[in-house]
Amino acid sequence: MHPHLHEFALRWKSLFRRRRMEREMAEELEFHQAMLREKLLREGVPQTEVNTMTRRTFGDARRWRERLIELWQFRALENFRRDVSFSARLLKKSPGFTAVALVTLTIAIGATTSIFSLINGLLLRPLPVPHADQLAVVHSDRSDYDAFGYSFCAPFFRALEKRHQAFQDVAAFTNSTMQVRSSSGSVEVPGAIVSGQFFRALETPPLLGRYLTPRDDQPGGGPGGFGVVISESFWRTWFNKAPDVVGQKIIIANAPFTVVGVMPKRFIGADPTHRPEIYVPLWAEPVIDAPYNNIAGGYHAWWLAIIARRNRGVSLEQANAALKTDSNPILEEAIPDAQWIKDAQTHHFEFVAESGSNGFSYLRSRFRKPLVAVFTFCTVMLLLACLNLASLLMARAAARERELATRLAFGATRRRLIQQLLVESLLIAVMGTATGIAVSPILSRSLAALLLGHSHNTFLDTSLDLRMFLFAATIAAVAAVLVGLIPALRATSKNLSDQIKDGSHATSARQRRRLLPRALMGLEVALALMLVVGAGLLATSLVRLYRTGLGFDPKGVVNLELRMDKQSLDGNALLRWYQKFGDSLAHEPGVKSVSFDAVTPLSGSTTTITYHTLSNKRERTLYMNTVAPEYFRTMRIPMLEGRDFRWNDTSASGNKIILNRTAAKMLFPGQNAVGQHVAGWPKGSQLEVIAVVGDVRYASIKKGAPAGAYMPITQSEQKKASYTAVVRIDGPPAPLASAARELAARMAPDIPSPVMTTMSGDLDASISSERMMAMLSVFFAGCALFITAIGLYGTLAYATARRTSEIGIRMALGAQRVQVVGLIFRENAWVAAGGLLAGLVAALLASRALASFLYGTSPRDPWVMTISALALGTVATTASLIPAIRAALIEPITAIRHE
Amino acid sequence: MIREENGPSGDLIQGTLEMLILRALMGGPMHGYGVAEWIHQTSQQVLKVEEGALYPALHRLELRGLLRAEWGASENNRRAKFYELTAQGKKRLHAESQRWEKLSAAIALVMQAS
Repeated sequence: MHPHLHEFALRWKSLFRRRRMEREMAEELEFHQAMLREKLLREGVPQTEVNTMTRRTFGDARRWRERLIELWQFRALENFRRDVSFSARLLKKSPGFTAVALVTLTIAIGATTSIFSLINGLLLRPLPVPHADQLAVVHSDRSDYDAFGYSFCAPFFRALEKRHQAFQDVAAFTNSTMQVRSSSGSVEVPGAIVSGQFFRALETPPLLGRYLTPRDDQPGGGPGGFGVVISESFWRTWFNKAPDVVGQKIIIANAPFTVVGVMPKRFIGADPTHRPEIYVPLWAEPVIDAPYNNIAGGYHAWWLAIIARRNRGVSLEQANAALKTDSNPILEEAIPDAQWIKDAQTHHFEFVAESGSNGFSYLRSRFRKPLVAVFTFCTVMLLLACLNLASLLMARAAARERELATRLAFGATRRRLIQQLLVESLLIAVMGTATGIAVSPILSRSLAALLLGHSHNTFLDTSLDLRMFLFAATIAAVAAVLVGLIPALRATSKNLSDQIKDGSHATSARQRRRLLPRALMGLEVALALMLVVGAGLLATSLVRLYRTGLGFDPKGVVNLELRMDKQSLDGNALLRWYQKFGDSLAHEPGVKSVSFDAVTPLSGSTTTITYHTLSNKRERTLYMNTVAPEYFRTMRIPMLEGRDFRWNDTSASGNKIILNRTAAKMLFPGQNAVGQHVAGWPKGSQLEVIAVVGDVRYASIKKGAPAGAYMPITQSEQKKASYTAVVRIDGPPAPLASAARELAARMAPDIPSPVMTTMSGDLDASISSERMMAMLSVFFAGCALFITAIGLYGTLAYATARRTSEIGIRMALGAQRVQVVGLIFRENAWVAAGGLLAGLVAALLASRALASFLYGTSPRDPWVMTISALALGTVATTASLIPAIRAALIEPITAIRHE
Repeated sequence: MIREENGPSGDLIQGTLEMLILRALMGGPMHGYGVAEWIHQTSQQVLKVEEGALYPALHRLELRGLLRAEWGASENNRRAKFYELTAQGKKRLHAESQRWEKLSAAIALVMQAS
């Protein structure tokens, strides 16, 4: 063995056998002394003198032992241990500083790790499948669309599935909520509709049975009908882990499916934000989605996400090259519409593969930017906390100059001192990180809940993993260096005699004027201002979003989502059911009015139809909703002219339509719309405009109200239409929820229990990322103000404490108290003013990055800028005035005696 | 570190002590006291190894893998730590004694110069 390695191994072993080693060393020396004693006795030395003589020749056994122990230790490790205990003692001695350090770091690190865990769960963590790095997600690209198209129609996918130049397997999937028949009615279970190669592409062996293969993905399924694969948790909760589950039938959407296999717990499919319990073959989609049929929808239905596994040894570039050459043949094979193909070709339509190691989720496009923005906030906040601690440490180190100088004089090397000071900051950083990590799971879970709202089937896995620990460790190390290095370098840089001469007393002006601590504090003020401005902008934007006129009154409205697509009633019978259900609901206590709609405003889903007038054939796109009578009263949408729908407004009595103000103006400029007719859909029929109502924000709260129209549900041709009951209530919604569930169970035992949400809650959920950003940034801004105040106060207080005698002398020589206040206050005033100015410039430059998140607010909003600067200025002034006033209250005599 | 008994004080270099220890152990395993005694006797009471230097040197050699230590019974039946040369230790002793021969011859040449 290499001598150094041998030495290391022995030392390493000795670390763990310390007690035994020390005992053996003592024994070895003891033996030597005993032998010496015997020798002396043999040589005739009298018994009485033997001991003294031994001691004289041998010296102090304890000292030799110490030297031996030292020999066996790791020098660095031992030093580190000593530094840690020394630093811990120091920190314990200044509990105020330690508390501030811990609280600020905990907030900053806790927030940063929480946001990182969201980013990790949504964007970074690879799918828990073998060789995830070979996976690719396919999207289509064309020059006339900004966004990449991650949705595919079935014909595209089927054409792509057949081509295997670059890919071993190509699979399509979509998330779907499935109605599973249980002993107590239908239950909604999150599931996925997957193509034949899905499981093969993900390479995860099943726990029981087999997984779905291309032979299951046929029209009508295999010989025994459609097979399904279930998750481990579904197996546990529905089958109580029965070992004979394979072969059993479950009823999904009123159709029998045979369980062919159970997937292990770790398998989550290809979407990291969903946890499907049931996987059904793609060809079963018409059954699952009945009465709809996306497969029959052909190239009009874009509903599939595509994930593929590359052939071994095929790079992403090679896969892309193969996809590019395939794009045109696939286009021609899949699309029966020559005009469509031509259009796509002129816009350079092509398939593109990107890395799919972490699967695919639609949530990514929605949350990536807000999360990255918030992460930036956190980083600034962390930097601010570190700078603040660095400033405080520096001020404190100045008070410790004498101690350090003495240690240097006793022969400690500068490196050794820096090491000790860094250990101190490392200790703070590690403790801050530990508490930060301790709070982060709660924080990240509540943030995830805030972001996802009540879209109950989505899931953000924020659990800790190796990546999180590496991140936290990096943060701790960076924080320790940021906090400790500059103060340590500075504290040990001065020449020795200077230090001892100056001591801790009246410091020379030259020293006070040092730029570095002021620059740090100034930077801190600047960063704080940036955070405050960012928070101000986001909060203003959010308030404006809430204040914006929606066109309806969401307060007191609850939505009750009814899934009627799988029960037995249809047509007129179903309509009568709705009417009866509405009447019964209206009799519940606290209910003021009830109606139904097909599209809940601001839910994100939209339906558009083009209409024209009889005199003008120009097609106009209208945003449609299908509603029941009483809708406008329930939603408090003003009825400007005409009359509401009635339950007897059926097609037989002539088709009716209600326009909103914008649509009426667009279609019938300068005329009275009521009584006029429009045409377009249903094809070949004319619809009479019976009313004009107020405009309503439709697709998104951020977009203005579009031209829109309403059709009565009594006119709908859909066989098993699902509507949402819209209920205006007085008082809390909770009692209604259980009443409505009971009512639904009594009146329609087959349907899944209806989910109730409040309109205001839906509204919050529709702008969840804006809410998260505003809430977090305001919180950070508050913290930033607080931290900056502590920093300004702390550094000034330290500096002033060291000038006590100087101030005493000044006052003894006739300086007024006001002058003293001015003298001390000036120190910080310059720092704060400089920081504010720099921060304002930086905020003006950086706030543009927020522009895409802002609603009705300019990123350079002068009010926000001014108020932020004023707020920070006030905080800085207060924080600096306290030490200044305290200094002015010094009694000259005591101050000078204090020397 | 090592001084000549009754001679003018002055330490010999540390390397020499290590060489002497290695040489002492050439005859077989010995405990620390034995090593000190052997050097003392063999040098005809000229060299006396101080305990404060002996044990750190022994432990250093052990750490470096030149010696191997084992606990055993001493001649008067007490538990004692015995040191033994390793193969590396033997190699090192060989190299050191060659170096020493050269060095002492050189010193002799200088001292005997007329």
